[in-house]
Amino acid sequence: MINRYLEKTWVQYLCLTTVVGLLVYYFGWVFDFGYKFDWSVLYKEDPSYGEVLGGMLVTGLNLTVSISLMSSAIALGLGILFGLGRLSQFKPVYYFSTCYVEFFRNTPLLVQLFFWYFALPMGLPEGIRNFLFDQNFEMLAATVGLGIYTSSFMAEVIRAGIQSIPKGLLEASYSSGLTPFQTLTKIVLPLAFRAIIPPLGSEFLNNMKNSSLAMVVGVPELCWASQQIEGMTFKGFEATTAATVIYLSLSLTIAGILTLVNWKLQIVPVKDRTMGHKFAHLLFWPFEAPFAFLAKMHRRMKRKRQDDFNLSRAQAARKAFLAKLSKVLGFVWKATFLVCLAFLIFSAVYGVSKFNFQVIRDNIGTLLWWRFPQGDPNEILWGLGGLSFSIIMSVIAISVSFFIGLIVGIGRTSKNKLFLIPSTLYIELIRGNPLIMVIFWIYFFIPILTGHFLNVFWSATIALTVFTGAYLAEIVRSGIQNLPPGQFEAAVSTGLTYWQAMRKIILPQALKQMLPAIVGQFIAIFKDTSLAFVIGVLELTFVAQGLNNRLMIYPFEIYTTVAFLYFICCYLMSLVARRLERKLSTETFRLQM
Amino acid sequence: MKRFMTLALAAALVMAFAATAFAGATYDKIMKDKVIRVGIMTDSIPGAFYNAKKEWVGFDVDIANEIAKRMGVKIDQVPVSNKTRIGFLQQGRIDISVSNMTHKRSRDNSIDFSITYFFDGQKMLAPKGKFSTLKDFVGKRVAVMQGTTSELNVKNLLKELGDAAPKVISYQKESECFQALQMGRVDAWSTDSTILLGYSAQVPGKYELVGDFFSNEPYGIGLVEDDSKLRDTVNFTLQDMWKDGTYEKIYNKWYGPDTKYYFPLTEKIEMWP
Repeated sequence: MINRYLEKTWVQYLCLTTVVGLLVYYFGWVFDFGYKFDWSVLYKEDPSYGEVLGGMLVTGLNLTVSISLMSSAIALGLGILFGLGRLSQFKPVYYFSTCYVEFFRNTPLLVQLFFWYFALPMGLPEGIRNFLFDQNFEMLAATVGLGIYTSSFMAEVIRAGIQSIPKGLLEASYSSGLTPFQTLTKIVLPLAFRAIIPPLGSEFLNNMKNSSLAMVVGVPELCWASQQIEGMTFKGFEATTAATVIYLSLSLTIAGILTLVNWKLQIVPVKDRTMGHKFAHLLFWPFEAPFAFLAKMHRRMKRKRQDDFNLSRAQAARKAFLAKLSKVLGFVWKATFLVCLAFLIFSAVYGVSKFNFQVIRDNIGTLLWWRFPQGDPNEILWGLGGLSFSIIMSVIAISVSFFIGLIVGIGRTSKNKLFLIPSTLYIELIRGNPLIMVIFWIYFFIPILTGHFLNVFWSATIALTVFTGAYLAEIVRSGIQNLPPGQFEAAVSTGLTYWQAMRKIILPQALKQMLPAIVGQFIAIFKDTSLAFVIGVLELTFVAQGLNNRLMIYPFEIYTTVAFLYFICCYLMSLVARRLERKLSTETFRLQM
Repeated sequence: MKRFMTLALAAALVMAFAATAFAGATYDKIMKDKVIRVGIMTDSIPGAFYNAKKEWVGFDVDIANEIAKRMGVKIDQVPVSNKTRIGFLQQGRIDISVSNMTHKRSRDNSIDFSITYFFDGQKMLAPKGKFSTLKDFVGKRVAVMQGTTSELNVKNLLKELGDAAPKVISYQKESECFQALQMGRVDAWSTDSTILLGYSAQVPGKYELVGDFFSNEPYGIGLVEDDSKLRDTVNFTLQDMWKDGTYEKIYNKWYGPDTKYYFPLTEKIEMWP
């Protein structure tokens, strides 16, 4: 009876409206927050400080946008470079690109930013250091650091995209006489980019959200601005809400642009184009037109010069010379690359050899388990901290968020609005915000809502769980939607119910496809435990900072050890992921350039 | 579906009950539970920090323990940072906050403060021999900590001295400010002088405090808003500690002439007859 009504859309909307209404009524009039809201701090001039504090948010937004744009450009450039490098047949390039990608992908951005900002200048000669410091070094370090971090993810996306191109196309293009470079630019890249755009887009989005970490090196961006207002007026709720709303609208804008790009790139016959496609084409026309014009002119010029099979002597000599020249240049290039690589390895080894290893030896225990088991009785887990704390946090977050992701992901594919709308809201709200914001929210508002105070450890773990849940839900959704719809129809027509079909037919297949992505998300969450340091959880980064604070003069030793510890854990997980990917892939062939 | 609705209803009810359980005077709660929860910093040398043996020690820790002892309750030390100390107080996660907080009028809108229990002021820390007066810092880069009053004080000072666009860079932690100073990213670091003393004592002879105090930083113990019983108790306890010499003993343990952080005690705390 109830079920039949619940299938009607208007009933579903009515239910949702009622629930929302009840929530608004409850939290608006009944619930006592124990907090005096004062939104005027955002738009009125503050008497103690003599300025409108909301203005900081605007300047912060400005910086966030410019950091995001610049670092995206850097990331895309480097990402293409190293993505192609990972396909190179020249082994040193391949190994170097692989090391680059693996290293930057498997250490937390936070640690990397600390390194670029605090440690790197110490290794540079005085003149260069002073030159750097005369520039806006905070911005420089944050932008380049962020760009390099994101580029390692983009490189992987690009590599995967290129390798997904069927071998036959490549053979066809070679056999039609195109050079490898032409094959790359005319066949592989255009096709690959279509496949790459969606995952690349989410990297741009992540890049924007990660820019919130620039605040740790003193860049006054959006997250910094909200913290600043909080620090000056102690009105944390208002400042955090304002920043959240801004981040969310930024994310939605980026997502909107990406959808438009997607529409633009879809190959749809003119008559089948929807409004969206038409709009996208109209919007991108001004950007596309100059290139189209150039290409046309280029084609026209080129057409005149035709290659003859019967070469004159001069032409043959020229061709032979060019071939020789390119060979020599190729050799020179390879030699230069090897020399640079050797220098890099040498300086890295030399730098490490000058480390004070005694410091590392003395403190490795602290970094691994803090003061376990000699902690106070009211400390959580007998004073455990450091790396083992990070591991425990991520294990809890991973195991719980997996189920959240599964349920919400299924809800996201449901046709019933009662499940669809809340799931979508949850996913978009969480994914639209930086993790650091989610941590602040959970930390400050769980106590208000429940009246119980959580240990920082638990609130950080909950934040990580909620955050990962949203990402896993998206993975689950795409996994389910990637299956041919016939599967579900066939299952239901054999008499299985919705849940039976899901559990026995759809999910087993979808999960198999999703595994690499899920493991990738697990790696991400392990790295993200480092962000819990902002609320003072005694995890690895926090302990490292405390150590650095006390020892003072060994930042290189400590940060390198920390990066190394994170790297080992993440790399082991990514090895597992790669093995899974290989095991699950139907095609064993891998494209090489 | 039915089960879902029941669950939702149950969740709403639980929340409603939780809300009513939330209220209650802090002082009565402390006396009932015989536990006082105190927010203390973890990385402020020598205010409150983890020493080499990973013990939580410092001036603030001793003051907090003494207050708890005199109130006849047990202490529950809660780590806080300059980001969390206020939120914790407002939500009742901690009862009092002994975490070098400058008493400011605009901050008094959100929480209450005890009488001043420590007198500090802001100074500049710079490499030895490079600067002699505050005027020398015009046009130079200065590090400060975010979420503190020192940031604005520095900006105002530099503006007064004739710096049109002060170059002030704010970091999240004290250790980061000091690191920036060490690597030469900034020419000076400015915050409360005791913190500066604590850090410069780690590398003796390299850094010095320059110029006079340019702001008053009276530290108060943070208290929940509108609980006069608790405020009176804390104020009286502080005055008792001063009267019988315990305060001086604790002070000399951390800031006395025999310590690395020598900082002469020049003022008296407010005494009510």
